[in-house]
Amino acid sequence: MTRLVTLEGATFTYPGADRPAIAGVSLELAAGDVLVVTGNAGAGASTLLLVATGFAPRVVGGTLTGTRRIDARRCGVVFARPWTQLTGLCPTVRDEIAFGPASQGLPAETVLGAAERAMALLRIAHLARREPTQLSGGELQRVVVAAVLAVEPEVLALDDPAAELDPEAADALYDVLPAIAAAGTAIIVATPDLERAARVATRALALAAGRVVAVGAPADVLSGTEVAAMARAAGCPPPYPLDVPALLRRVGQ
Amino acid sequence: MIGYVPGRSPLHRAHPYTTLALAGALLLGAFALTQPLEVWLLVMAAAAFAAAGGVLRASARTALLLSLPIWVLLFVLHGLMGAEPRMVVGPVTLSVPGISRALVLGGRVTAIVLGFLTALATASPHRLVEAMTAGGVPFSRTFLLASTLTVLPRMRERATQILEAQQCRGLRLGGSPLARLRALGPLALPLVLGALAEVDEQVLALDARGAAGGARRTALDPPRDSAPQRALRWTVLALVVVAYAWKFWSMHR
Repeated sequence: MTRLVTLEGATFTYPGADRPAIAGVSLELAAGDVLVVTGNAGAGASTLLLVATGFAPRVVGGTLTGTRRIDARRCGVVFARPWTQLTGLCPTVRDEIAFGPASQGLPAETVLGAAERAMALLRIAHLARREPTQLSGGELQRVVVAAVLAVEPEVLALDDPAAELDPEAADALYDVLPAIAAAGTAIIVATPDLERAARVATRALALAAGRVVAVGAPADVLSGTEVAAMARAAGCPPPYPLDVPALLRRVGQ
Repeated sequence: MIGYVPGRSPLHRAHPYTTLALAGALLLGAFALTQPLEVWLLVMAAAAFAAAGGVLRASARTALLLSLPIWVLLFVLHGLMGAEPRMVVGPVTLSVPGISRALVLGGRVTAIVLGFLTALATASPHRLVEAMTAGGVPFSRTFLLASTLTVLPRMRERATQILEAQQCRGLRLGGSPLARLRALGPLALPLVLGALAEVDEQVLALDARGAAGGARRTALDPPRDSAPQRALRWTVLALVVVAYAWKFWSMHR
């Protein structure tokens, strides 16, 4: 497996902050990985994504210490709110997705080919002529992921990508991640949506107050959640529910 | 009405540079003309410009709403407090040169606002970006201009959403001027903070899609230009130069 990102003892502090958002974090990301990062709000998962993809401190400012090596030619990032990630300049979904390849100055046929492939991968070819602002949140988030994939990033960071989506749209988004990883992209997902993340993760990493508290196979790391521990203690048979909605569903059954 | 309105009018179909050249000529012409009759002919030209874009009624209404406070201020300042000679109109005595001055200044404001609103309503930001991209303008400058054209409608839309949300939580917009002023607080803070957060994410999203790469972008669908449109742009430029030459010649003869 090609190693794309290596962090060793990475510590990052935002401008003006008095304590680091992540501290002493070490991780490796290779092609085909789907790494799920979990933690409570403020644990540093979103910051870890920005550091691992090179956007921090280059774009957001701040100071990074420790070792970071990014061997990926290009990294992409997707945030929770799809409408903040639109260019605001493209009248159709096809134009929105073609924006990235067009920014690289590629020939028009190559640009459109990249857009078509990204739309096919995200199963949104039928939306090509629609206006982005007229789409539902779920459709729009898939458009945003396709727009990032169109520039063929070797590392794709997803920051709570289903936060604004309904359950069906969230399922549809997570369902395409294995295919993207299989194409050779390393994926790093920060999310509290552990049930869905567990379905697609190849590894998991848990953060608390900016420090790594567990890293390894998803079954080992994610089953350490409080909900899973409660289910285990209550004699619930495995696989244990990882979050409250899953626990409620299990109780309902 | 502030913002782009899709349509099939001659201005919508024109090259965006032509639309901007006509709006620019109205702006520059407004400052070159010094007599009330000249300025009001320019207001007529601005109205014809809006009519050619099929947005006369909406643009004129907004332009009047925006320029009405300035009209009132100008008539108070120049009409009531202007120099001799004065004329009696009903219960008030008005300054004749002051009224003339107010007509010139008010006409200028109206022509400029009407021209700007019409350009905003008929020049598609996407087509403008494509035209500038085809012309080799760096994306940073293209984005700056296009964002400026789209910022007002986006802010207005966000303000409406915030106001509705705050009203759901009991915010009252009516009452005394002081109460109305107080109601601005719950609107302004989320509006500004929300805009800053969105800009932060959009910068990262655009960077992830190669917008800051520095490569010359590929124009996928540049608007068609034509010899008559180029001739029109040169003609309005020449007219502006003649108007300024006339102004300076008149001042120094």
